[in-house]
Amino acid sequence: MREADERRADERMVLGVFNALTARSGAPLQYALMTDTPVGPIGLARGEGGLCRLDFTRDEDAFLTRLLDRFGDRPLLRQPAKLDAVRRQLDRYFSGRSLRFEVDVDLSAISGFSRRILEATARIPAGRVLTYTEVAAKAGSPRASRAAGNALHNNPVAIIVPCHRIVASSGLGGYGGGIENKKWLLRHEGVAT
Amino acid sequence: MSQSERIARLLARHGLELARHLRRMVRDEDTAQDLLQDTMLRAHRALARLAPGANERAWLYRIATNVALNHLRARSRERRALERHAAESDNHAPPGWDGDAPDRRAKLWNGIAALPERQRVAITLRLADELEYDDIAERMGCSADAARANVYQATKRLKLEVR
Repeated sequence: MREADERRADERMVLGVFNALTARSGAPLQYALMTDTPVGPIGLARGEGGLCRLDFTRDEDAFLTRLLDRFGDRPLLRQPAKLDAVRRQLDRYFSGRSLRFEVDVDLSAISGFSRRILEATARIPAGRVLTYTEVAAKAGSPRASRAAGNALHNNPVAIIVPCHRIVASSGLGGYGGGIENKKWLLRHEGVAT
Repeated sequence: MSQSERIARLLARHGLELARHLRRMVRDEDTAQDLLQDTMLRAHRALARLAPGANERAWLYRIATNVALNHLRARSRERRALERHAAESDNHAPPGWDGDAPDRRAKLWNGIAALPERQRVAITLRLADELEYDDIAERMGCSADAARANVYQATKRLKLEVR
């Protein structure tokens, strides 16, 4: 049996048991952890549509808790190899060799204004920042800065959709991944904090 | 945490490699899937007894190996699984593993099942999964030397029993 056939057989078996014992019968998500980054451990998850989670996390257990909670009908598989391309780009980012990402991101679970906020945020280049009001305006609702803040707080793909590049008009503003990490990311991109 | 969530965690972390281990042992995907399901249910029932900080992966390998050996022993009367196994197995195996009469192969499985647990898991990972000692050690949570010693002891005992 070729290695690719073996892997498919392994996957079929595990998905079958997920279905039988946990009622998780949706499309599987692959996940991996990066434990050694300048901003602490990072959990990554992807499905057919692309990367759907990049979380600051404590450890694998905590990340799994979030995934199980967030994706109630989907089987999860620890498959680091399926996230190699993203991990390589993150390594390049953290080492400063490149601050750009070319990653397929799956925001299909998010709609409306929140989606427009994240899409506008994704277009901000490294080294630039916008205020909550400015990003709300780019998403078509200049007065909705508070709603913009909520959408950014719920950003499923931190760093790659760079919500750290959105700041308050007076100061840094909040950050779901911890304010120290926001400072690190902005300084790393050459923004004075 | 619900039963379904606990099982989902174990499956997410270890399911793929346990699937391969079981498939290599029984050489049949459907049977291996049943055994993986059984392994998960047993693990879930025993989870409360797993000491905090214990090596979950090594513990699951022990459960899966025992589940598969029980299955193979039960099937040894029919000998079907063993014959398929012999046809595909490698040639640096102890007597009884390869090409011998079915009753000797059944004897071998029974011999493996009767080994002390660490020897049982080590020899199974070596023969069925064809793993190197480093990989056996990683799955069992021990050193490569300990893995090698377990395989050596297991082979020695099996040679006596499967004469």
